[in-house]
Amino acid sequence: MIGIIMFFAALLMLLVGFPVAFTFGGIALLFGVYAEGADMFAFMPFRIYSIMENTVLMAIPLFIFMGIVLQKTKLAEQLLESMGTLFGSVRGGLAISTILVGALLAASTGVVGASVVAMGLISLPVMLKYNYDKKLACGTICASGTLGQIIPPSIILIILGDVMGIPVGDLFKAAVAPGVVLIGVYVSYILIKAFLSPEAAPAMPVDQSKGTRQQQVFQAIKAVLPPLILILVVLGSIFAGIATPTESSALGGVGALVLALLYRQLNWKLVYESASETVKITAMVFAILLGATAFSMAFTYTGGDAIIEEILLGLPGEQMGFLILSMLVILVLGFFIDFVEISFIIVPMLAPVADAMGIAPLWFAILIAMNLQTSFLTPPFGFSLFYLKGVAPASVRTTDIYKGVIPFISMQVAIVITILLFPEFYGLN
Amino acid sequence: KVYKLKLAETWPSNFPIFGDATKNMVAMAEKMSNGRLKITIDSKNKHKAALGIFDMVRAGQYDMGHSASYYWKGKDANTLFFTTMPFGMTAPEQYGWFYYGDGMELMKEVYDKHGILSFPGGNTGNQMGGWFQKEINSVDDLKGLKMRIPGFAGEVLAKLGAKPTNIPAGELYTSLERRTIDALEWVGPSLDLRMGFHKIAPYYYTGWHEPATELQFMINKRAWNKLPEDLQEILRVAMRTAAYDMYAQSYHASGENWAKMKTEYPDIKVKTFPKDVINAMRKANDELIAERAAKDPMAKKIIDSQAAYLKKVRVWSEISDNAYLNSQAAE
Amino acid sequence: MLLKLENLINRFSDLLGVIAAVLLILLLLNVFYDVIMRYMFNDVSIGMQELEWHLYSTMFLLGVSYSLRHNGHVRVDLFYERRSPKTRAWIDIFGVLVLLLPFTLLVGYYGIGFTQEAYELNEQSGDPGGLPYRWVIKSMIPFAFFSVAVSGLGMLLHAVNVIRGIHEDEPTENFIP
Ligand code: NA
Ligand code: NA
Repeated sequence: MIGIIMFFAALLMLLVGFPVAFTFGGIALLFGVYAEGADMFAFMPFRIYSIMENTVLMAIPLFIFMGIVLQKTKLAEQLLESMGTLFGSVRGGLAISTILVGALLAASTGVVGASVVAMGLISLPVMLKYNYDKKLACGTICASGTLGQIIPPSIILIILGDVMGIPVGDLFKAAVAPGVVLIGVYVSYILIKAFLSPEAAPAMPVDQSKGTRQQQVFQAIKAVLPPLILILVVLGSIFAGIATPTESSALGGVGALVLALLYRQLNWKLVYESASETVKITAMVFAILLGATAFSMAFTYTGGDAIIEEILLGLPGEQMGFLILSMLVILVLGFFIDFVEISFIIVPMLAPVADAMGIAPLWFAILIAMNLQTSFLTPPFGFSLFYLKGVAPASVRTTDIYKGVIPFISMQVAIVITILLFPEFYGLN
Repeated sequence: KVYKLKLAETWPSNFPIFGDATKNMVAMAEKMSNGRLKITIDSKNKHKAALGIFDMVRAGQYDMGHSASYYWKGKDANTLFFTTMPFGMTAPEQYGWFYYGDGMELMKEVYDKHGILSFPGGNTGNQMGGWFQKEINSVDDLKGLKMRIPGFAGEVLAKLGAKPTNIPAGELYTSLERRTIDALEWVGPSLDLRMGFHKIAPYYYTGWHEPATELQFMINKRAWNKLPEDLQEILRVAMRTAAYDMYAQSYHASGENWAKMKTEYPDIKVKTFPKDVINAMRKANDELIAERAAKDPMAKKIIDSQAAYLKKVRVWSEISDNAYLNSQAAE
Repeated sequence: MLLKLENLINRFSDLLGVIAAVLLILLLLNVFYDVIMRYMFNDVSIGMQELEWHLYSTMFLLGVSYSLRHNGHVRVDLFYERRSPKTRAWIDIFGVLVLLLPFTLLVGYYGIGFTQEAYELNEQSGDPGGLPYRWVIKSMIPFAFFSVAVSGLGMLLHAVNVIRGIHEDEPTENFIP
């Protein structure tokens, strides 16, 4: 019961506008101390230390650093503008470019904080500069930044593999088809949206003074290549066995500095200012993680896990009904709790039941993974939304982001339904 | 009166075998005490501190823990000896040492100053030597070998020129597949197959470094002393039974998975390290152990006890199980 | 007087920011070095690998103060942005007193015992070639949380000064220049 009151208290306090991280932490403290006494917080150093030791999260600062260097040297802007130019008079080119770059980043990291922030830094200013609708721009960035969760390597898949006892490699392979479909659907949505409301996603303005179309395309390709090669090198370093996925983000950071050097923009000021901004943004992301871990601690230790258990015991005992309702439960819980909690608390309760009903574990796992990645996008507690807000210019409001992600959430739900109905299409049965 | 105890385990909830041992112990204790003992299990996903169990039980934040003693060697070097040692005893030998040799007494001595009581917590049996991307034919092949192998066994290999490497568990699969590392050790067939390593590395080496990994139940001494004598005894019996039972379950799961692996993945090449490699590893191991014994009298006491026990009991193992197995082996 | 104290606290938070920025650059070089050494020279040092997370975690822990001083922590602005500077200042005063200070002080307090434990045991890495003195990295938890409490005090003073009319307005510091 306390868990539920806690949620509404947190929601209310968040709306007041005090920083998210300390709202979570403070609410956890008030309720935790009330219900269990102050000593519960003796667990906090252990939880914090676990985050400190979690080297996978190192990708967050390193990718953010890469993003900031690319942004400061205008290389990111050039990349997206040029990709947009290549789309010619087709509207929505910038947004589609964002999705494609986001997909590439997604293939090198599985950490949402890293990719949403990097994409927010790289592409939000550019889209705003070319008069994109704020909501569309924000939705596109959150959705493409969250792709990292389904496109391997991905933390959700690794955790699910561990929890459900499925080899990670099998999960990675199974996630490719749904991931590609997701990207395809996003791109189609942008094209349709841009066709129906041209002012939301205008085409890049054609500047006749810059020569013929052919010359412009050539120029564009020249500008696209260096940063694109950088991103491919990051990806390649994983595949060539040079670096682990986490380490590859450091190669991205160093590579961005090398690019800056090639473009004669490298100096101490650039390095220090990029580092300083990276610290600010990284601290914003980690403060949320610290606050959230306090919140989930207070939630579980005051009996929140028992409430969830009760809900799950009420699920129906027939295959399709069970699948639909368990998906709904995960979706709704995803509004409130983070995906790690769901994977560890709820999935272990559902998986044996699903197994007993003869539901293929891979199919079930992919359904859950798709569903969980949606949880990053769902207001009010979707982490992607907070992260983007943290790096967006002041003119972008929380409501823009909340409204912007709704179409993307709908698309994800639609795809989950297709996986539910036509698993064979995705090779999942 | 009902006595409520809180137990923290290193494993995530529903972790097979290891987690089953905890659940078994708790179920037995509750039943045997007719409900006078109530033990709640908090898994890693709740406390988020897999390697904080020692500190939490020490401080009394949890009354009990289920983990493994060698995880604490950075906090107290002598906890290392109560899990398993490279070239050390097999599971039956080690149980003999614990329960009828000096094992329990020595473990008590080490844990006493931390206000903790420690008990055997379930054995995995002989662990495999790990998954390798390349064959190991000589000691030279170990030089520069990048391997995920934590703890003391890593020290042994490092002495022979190998490069123990830290890789987060979530990135092990990708790292081994892409050959960012050349090898890794995990547990054995009972738990390795769900990690999928058999799909990406051709060589599976037999074990040398963890012949009898014994998990550990821990209890905070103050919590223990508050229990009436009969409940202490019930808890002791439940822990001991659950530990034995985990050894049986591990043996069973390993057998099942080994058979499954051999039929489904006949291409896996099962290898044993050549004799000169084993000898070099044993020499490195003995030197490292001697260093520890020289530095710390308590370490020397444990090492000597284990060595003496092994010397005596191994003769019997060889004449009983080993001779039997050899006599049965197909020529 | 209050303004002076606020400035003093701001300088403290900024100093932590400088340290954190340097740590980030060191982290980048550290990881890069480790990758190059392993791939090109087949050499791995567990100590250097552990240094990575020592640097990264110290960086983000110290950064929380710095970010707080620069208003870098995300707020949900549905309600907040339409309020006057004074109302916002009251929200911050309330938030610091009821949420931020109790949280950071309590966690910081328990962080001391956590560090002390590691110090008494002289805890070190359990892996070959790993780093000694775990209490040093563990002490970053209480240090960082108390620092955030100090920066929170700076936030409080700032809000008080806004209400007293000393600051024209809140700093509309743009996050991305
Ligand atoms: Na990914
Ligand atoms: Na092992």
